[in-house]
Amino acid sequence: MSGVLLYKSELCGLIHFLVADQTVIAPVPLTHGQFKFAAVTTLEEIALDAIPTLLPPKKYFLPPQESLLQYDTTQGEKMQAEVAIEETVLFGLHTCDLAGIQCLDMVFADRPKDLHYMIRKQHFTLIGLECNDYCDSSANCAMLFNHLPKGGYDLFLTDLGDYYFVDINTHKGDLLVEKSGLFVPVTPAAQDNLQKLRQIKTKRFKSEIPIRYQDIKPLFEASFESNVWTDIGAKCLACGNCTNACPTCYCFDIVDEPEFDLTRGKRLRIWDSCQHENFARIAGGENFRKERGDRQRHRYNRKFHYPMERYKQIFCTGCGRCSRTCMARIDLKETFNALIEECR
Amino acid sequence: MSRPTVAFFELASCEGCQLQVANLGEELLAILDRIDLVEFRELLTERPDGPLDIAFVEGSVVNAECEARLHAIRQRSELLIAYGSCATIGGVNAMANGRPISEIQAEVYGDQAERFAAARVRPLHQLVPVDYFIHGCPIYPDELIKVLKAALAHLPYNIPDYAVCVECLLNENVCMYEKKVTCLGPVTRAGCNAWCINNGNVCYGCRGLVSNPNRAGAEAVLSRYHLDSRLIANKMLMYNGALEPTDE
Amino acid sequence: MEKIAVRNSGYQISRGRISRVTLLTETERLFTIVLQNNETLDHDPGQFVEVSRFGVGEVPISICSSPTRRDAFELCIRAAGRVTAALHRLKPGDEVGIRGPFGVGFPMTPLAASDVLLIAGGLGIAPLRSLVHYIIDNRRDFGKVDILLGCRDPQSMLFSAELEFWRQRIDINFLCSVDSAAAEWEGNIGLITALIPGVNLDPFKTIAITCGPSVMYRFVIAELLKKGIPPAHIYLSLERHMKCGLGKCGHCQIENLYCCQDGPVFSYPQIKNIRGALE
Repeated sequence: MSGVLLYKSELCGLIHFLVADQTVIAPVPLTHGQFKFAAVTTLEEIALDAIPTLLPPKKYFLPPQESLLQYDTTQGEKMQAEVAIEETVLFGLHTCDLAGIQCLDMVFADRPKDLHYMIRKQHFTLIGLECNDYCDSSANCAMLFNHLPKGGYDLFLTDLGDYYFVDINTHKGDLLVEKSGLFVPVTPAAQDNLQKLRQIKTKRFKSEIPIRYQDIKPLFEASFESNVWTDIGAKCLACGNCTNACPTCYCFDIVDEPEFDLTRGKRLRIWDSCQHENFARIAGGENFRKERGDRQRHRYNRKFHYPMERYKQIFCTGCGRCSRTCMARIDLKETFNALIEECR
Repeated sequence: MSRPTVAFFELASCEGCQLQVANLGEELLAILDRIDLVEFRELLTERPDGPLDIAFVEGSVVNAECEARLHAIRQRSELLIAYGSCATIGGVNAMANGRPISEIQAEVYGDQAERFAAARVRPLHQLVPVDYFIHGCPIYPDELIKVLKAALAHLPYNIPDYAVCVECLLNENVCMYEKKVTCLGPVTRAGCNAWCINNGNVCYGCRGLVSNPNRAGAEAVLSRYHLDSRLIANKMLMYNGALEPTDE
Repeated sequence: MEKIAVRNSGYQISRGRISRVTLLTETERLFTIVLQNNETLDHDPGQFVEVSRFGVGEVPISICSSPTRRDAFELCIRAAGRVTAALHRLKPGDEVGIRGPFGVGFPMTPLAASDVLLIAGGLGIAPLRSLVHYIIDNRRDFGKVDILLGCRDPQSMLFSAELEFWRQRIDINFLCSVDSAAAEWEGNIGLITALIPGVNLDPFKTIAITCGPSVMYRFVIAELLKKGIPPAHIYLSLERHMKCGLGKCGHCQIENLYCCQDGPVFSYPQIKNIRGALE
């Protein structure tokens, strides 16, 4: 795999090329400096300077509500498992969101595989876009090295002034470059500019929290009984916005939705949140994470501790969405600092 | 399969929830295929008085007449569904509960006050057993359909017990607090798909409080936005004036 | 959006026909289920299935029959929620959806040739019954067998006729205790933990398996350790709400463990330091 260049004057043509035979999704502006991923048809609609969107792109891979199977009980418990697919390009994915998608891929490809997710995912083309500078102060991407591209895309664009340096990561990306005819070969000057930008970025992006990557998991192991969790629990409204906004949270519930004849219907997968009070309750009434603080601790451990054991990977991308969306201002960086302070 | 007999009734209310049902459109036709609708003031003239399988009751109990009517409906019907805020939590009627009833009667009816009997405003479950609750002012049509399906299948319906914020974020609305506008979404139970906020309005708390809300946490949020918690309490009273400590 | 069929989806169900419903107590019923289309369950004792009725939903239920009896399997279901209450309305001839079996069952290989001590509290007898039947059907493969059962009162005792049969067997030592009972009750009264000291066992030859409400575990484990049973010879089955059964949905997660895939049966050392496992 290799690199090519895309002149900015051709970006409009690229979007035009992409929308011809598939749905194109990209960040679009809302009011008050906020953004969301939505379907677009022209370049003008796209916010190339978007900060992380309200909901992460997982809403396309793991929809808030999706049908797992259709049933018909007129003659016994008959069913057909299904997945809704659509050829889709996700354009303008930042490195944090690409890291999030890589985490979800790991979970759903882990045995037993989730074929619904995996089949749908095959129909996506992912085009990344590098952040040359921080989006805002909620982000903590650098501490996790997620301010730099680490794969997970088909094409990855880096803004170098008049043109984008385009890294091709997959065969799908290769085909797109070839078919569109809009890309030109890399020049030594472009290579040089890319290196320069990366050097500038190393100065701009510094670990946001005073902790080394390898010390993160031990910090959470040591802080299980910490008062920090009680303090956070006292603030938390248990709304679950942190988990809905998180690009790597994937907890769900399964519910049936019958049609009016009550014999036919769908079995749905819907997003759920470990922050909701009854999430870990069992039929007998016992609740294994009754306190808000217990549930917040569980969320943090599910980002920084447990996935390190299961997938050798931290499941925080540094996008900062959980801190931005929290009404109670439970801030990821503040939580870290409090835990570090306490362990000192 | 014989179709269950269903009737819609109204106590003290604006009948706006009944209007929501009448406006269901094609869904209403699907419902009518499955039920035998015998009474519905906004759609039918008949008033039979036989036994019922399902009674939908809108409105709150504001006097002895309402109370007697409610008991009679309960006796006639296998299932009773309280629908709309007036019926489920007291609703706007219950704003009256904050002042002595005689004072309000005098203010509204002047010297004719004694001709209009009035008592403390109560939601249905404070008087009779209620099988299903459909919150909202007005009810959210999708939820009515879910509850009706559950009732037809003799299954319980679980009302979401998380804040409206959840559904609001799923709709990717910019937070009202971001816009410096007070919104009751953070303490109000979901199930309406953030209907009001999706349409540019704020949440007025018409579905009632989430159970086990974090009161101190919510107050801290409000003070951060320099909002007096009494202001919010007053806003909350718009719909929740009839809640008893024993209510959810 | 185009919808395409998913073959081998983890969510697809097998059709099971209920062949018998036995009333066990006021709240528990035993369902005998035969899979359709010549499918067999092929489970290990201690595993569970997801049982469903379309339009109602799914619940995880441990299998309480032995894989040695292959033509049908049994589920003991307590009416505790929306789905289980609906399942209680079903009659012979009705169908249910079955997914599974899921999870890690009892340690059958180390159990063979060991002495076996089974300790059940309340509904915990259901998964252990699968193992008891397996042992009875292969009795010579196991050493000494002790079964201790505790429950609230004689009325809530499950499988009482069958328990009488276990009690009469000379190759099984069966003891039972209730928390409280009327004067005519002739058996033991008291907590199940009180029965453990009296059991005559060789701690190094014994594997102890306990299954019951989570409040029981700490006390039972403490008694077993006092008897000198090595921690690694103690197993327990944890109850959580396993919604998907596939290690994804998060409901059954205990720290890093998914009860549905890593359990529900765990060895004591596996979960000893997992906070939230035994509380």
